[in-house]
Parts: sequence; structure tokens; C-alpha cells
Amino acid sequence: MALAPLGREPPPLFRQGPSALSKLIFYSALALFLMVADVRFQMMQPLRTVLATVIYPFQWLAMRPVLLVQEVDSWAISLGETEQDREILRTKLTLQSQRALQVDQLTLENRRLRDLLELKGRPGVAGIAAQAIYDAADPYSRKIILDKGSLQGLALGAPVIDDLGVLGQITRLYPLTSEVTLITDHDHATPVLNARTGARGVAYGENSIHADAIELRFMAANADVAVGDLLTTSGVDGVYPPGLPVARVEKVERSTTDVFARIYCMPLALVAGAGHVLVLAPLSPAIEPRPASEPLAVVSKPRGRR
Amino acid sequence: MIMRPGQQLLLQANPFFIWATLFAALFANMLFNMLLWGRSAWVPDILSVVLVFWTVNQTLRVGVTAAFIFGLFMDVYQGGLLGQHAMAYTVLSFLAIMIHRRLLWFSLSSQALQVLPLFAVVHVVEIVLTLLLGGSWPSWVVIFAPLFEAMLWPVLSVVLLAPQRRAPDPDENRPL
Repeated sequence: MALAPLGREPPPLFRQGPSALSKLIFYSALALFLMVADVRFQMMQPLRTVLATVIYPFQWLAMRPVLLVQEVDSWAISLGETEQDREILRTKLTLQSQRALQVDQLTLENRRLRDLLELKGRPGVAGIAAQAIYDAADPYSRKIILDKGSLQGLALGAPVIDDLGVLGQITRLYPLTSEVTLITDHDHATPVLNARTGARGVAYGENSIHADAIELRFMAANADVAVGDLLTTSGVDGVYPPGLPVARVEKVERSTTDVFARIYCMPLALVAGAGHVLVLAPLSPAIEPRPASEPLAVVSKPRGRR
Repeated sequence: MIMRPGQQLLLQANPFFIWATLFAALFANMLFNMLLWGRSAWVPDILSVVLVFWTVNQTLRVGVTAAFIFGLFMDVYQGGLLGQHAMAYTVLSFLAIMIHRRLLWFSLSSQALQVLPLFAVVHVVEIVLTLLLGGSWPSWVVIFAPLFEAMLWPVLSVVLLAPQRRAPDPDENRPL
């Protein structure tokens, strides 16, 4: 067996390839190009899909221990805990059954009233159950990965909920997995409705006050918002169906120096430990496209671009 | 070639082993994320340590190109910005090539001190890129990540070099 000095072959004398510095410049430029293309033009999805397929076997393998731990965990709860859970669930069921019985009747009544007023019916939604496998490792955003993808019929932009409220929406779709941007993500905005006052607003992800909160922005400093108000989806965005619970107002700061009040809310859904979730069908196809804007009758003075 | 005092003659590195360890490091990162610590910012990035190790020890095989490709894998896995880790790892591997001739002359502990700035640069590049493109500030615990990575350096150096330290002619007394 040949022994190479120092465990590596001697460097070639002539054909050394491009220098490290030129490689650094080339690949940095390529990485910058990829980032810009990804952020500004959203054209890197095919490349992402290919790379995601390459690493999927590793992901699948890493999922096994995770699923095993979950399985063992669910087996190893004590009899007492199960009894307790059963009691809680039974109470919940009793409370809900009365409402559930009314829902059919109310839906019928609602449809008739809407027919009477010649309003469009609310689009019905179907759902696919999925499981959250892990939190995306990126500490700069709030995303989770689901174990189902486009092959199982999920679609881009589909809202994701759990049994307590809205979790977020699907923002990236791979063949076998999909990525959900949570409502607590820095870049995610949820159109909400204050269930007490009926005022509409927009809630943004906000991680500065504590890890997983959302902030109701652009509400006037004297707006009628109180601690404990329930925020539900307003349904004006074409993503979330109306009436799903989103968050509860936790803290309202009104200061005389600001035009807007700072309103912090706690999401109702388990954003930090999402397990089983329901992916609803995206609403956008069921909503009519915006009418083309008509030219204004009043001719205003043409204004040059800044 | 000049040899360091007390340096051991090593076997040839097995290319299959090199690439397997790189993928294993990617896998370890996934396990840390899925099973143990979620998206905490202080979790050490094993892949960057292994990349620096092979860039220093096998400069002809593992270099800037490999770092760039593994960076892309990390980006897709994390669901972040495509090119963020690729950029950081490219810079990392360039710096590793810059120091590869002198690094191995030092003891393992001082090597760890010398690679610490490299790992810090990776995190600085990532944070700067995220902030530039409108992301959020992770958390100050991110300063622990390069420290942990530097602490892993001596351990991984011993483990990854072990196959090359085997005897060239194994017999009954030296089975390995």
C-alpha cells in the first residue's frame, strides 16, 4: 500500500485550476445573484425543488427518530393523565355539541337569508390533515415544515389551522413536504377583525416583545381595543376564510407621541409547538377577480414620478 | 515537503469517507434541528466545522465549490434565503484555504482558537445578509454558536483523522 506523505497526494505542479481568490469572487457573485433572483423575482423555485429532492432522503431518515419519540411519548402517558384528558374532552364535547347542533340550522337559515338579500354564499372549504415535522432551522423567520406536499394535493397559499386557531399559510411547496409561514413571522400579515367591535385591522408577526407574538398595527391611538379582545380572520384577503380565531389582545400601549396604539396579541393556535394541523383549500379560486379600475372622471394634473 | 516535529505519517484519505462525513454533518444539523433544539440560534453548525476540517486537510479535494454546494443544501433545508449559507460557506472555505498551511503546525487547542474567527465570520455574514434583505434579528445567543463550533474542532479533528491513522499493514497485534 502506497504511503502518501502527510496523507494527501502531492499538489500538481502546473494544472492547479483557478486560484482560491477567483473562486471566492465567482461563487460570491453567484450567491448574490441567487439571493436577488430568489427575493426579487421568485425564479429559483425549480432549483429549490431539485435540491430539496436531493436532501429528502436525509430528511426522511432524520424524521424517523422524531416520529419514534412522538410515538413512544404518546404510548407512555399514564392512565391518570388519560382519564384527565378524557374528562376535559368530554366537557369540551358537551359544550360544543349544543353549538354543533345549532350550526346546521344556522347555516340553512343563513343561506336563506343570503338568498333573500341576493348575497353571494360564503365559499365552503375542504381540508387535508397533515403533521408538522419540524420548525425550520432558520432563526430569522418563523416557519414550520409539514409532512405533505404537492403530491398529496396541497396548494400554494393554502391556509393552515389547528384546533385552536389560525397557524399560517403555505408559502413554499415541494413534492413531498411543504413550508408554512406562521402568523408570528416577521413578514406575515393577517387581516383580522375585532370580534367585539367589528373593526378590521392587520396583524403582523412581532418577535421583539416575546418570542411568539403578533402586533395589531395601524390602529389609531384612541381606537376601541381592550385587553382580552378576540381577533378573528376578516376574510377580505382571499387567503383565510372569515371567522377563524387568530389571537387575543394581550397588551395595549397608548402614548401621546404616537399616532398609532401599540397593540400586542397572543396567537391562539399552538404556533410554538404545532403538531397535527389542517390544511384548508385556498380561497383565491373561489373569489371573483378584482374589477378593472375605471379611469377617474376628474382629470387631475399629471404628476411626475419622483 | 517539510514535516512538523513529531508528525505521524498518515494513510491516504478515502474520498468516499470525506463526502460521507460531509453528508453526515448535514444530517447531524437536521437532527439537532428536528429532534433537539428547534430553531435556537446558539446551536453549533457541525457542517461548517467539517467543511473547514476537510478544506484544511484535503485542500485539493474539498474547496470553495464543495462549500458553495453544501451551503445551497443548507439554504433549501432551512427554508431561508437561497444563497445565504452558500455565500457564508464560500467565504469560510476561502479563509480556511488562506490558513491551511500554517494551521496544522499548532496544537489542537490553539488550532481551535485560530478557527474561532472563521466560524464567527460565517455567522456575521449570515446576519448581515438577513438584515440587508429585510429579515429580523435572531437573538443575542447567536454569539455562542461560533464558540461551540470552535470547541467541537479538537473533537472532530481526532475523529475525522482516525481512519488515516490506522496501521498500513494490519496484523493480529494491530487489527485496526
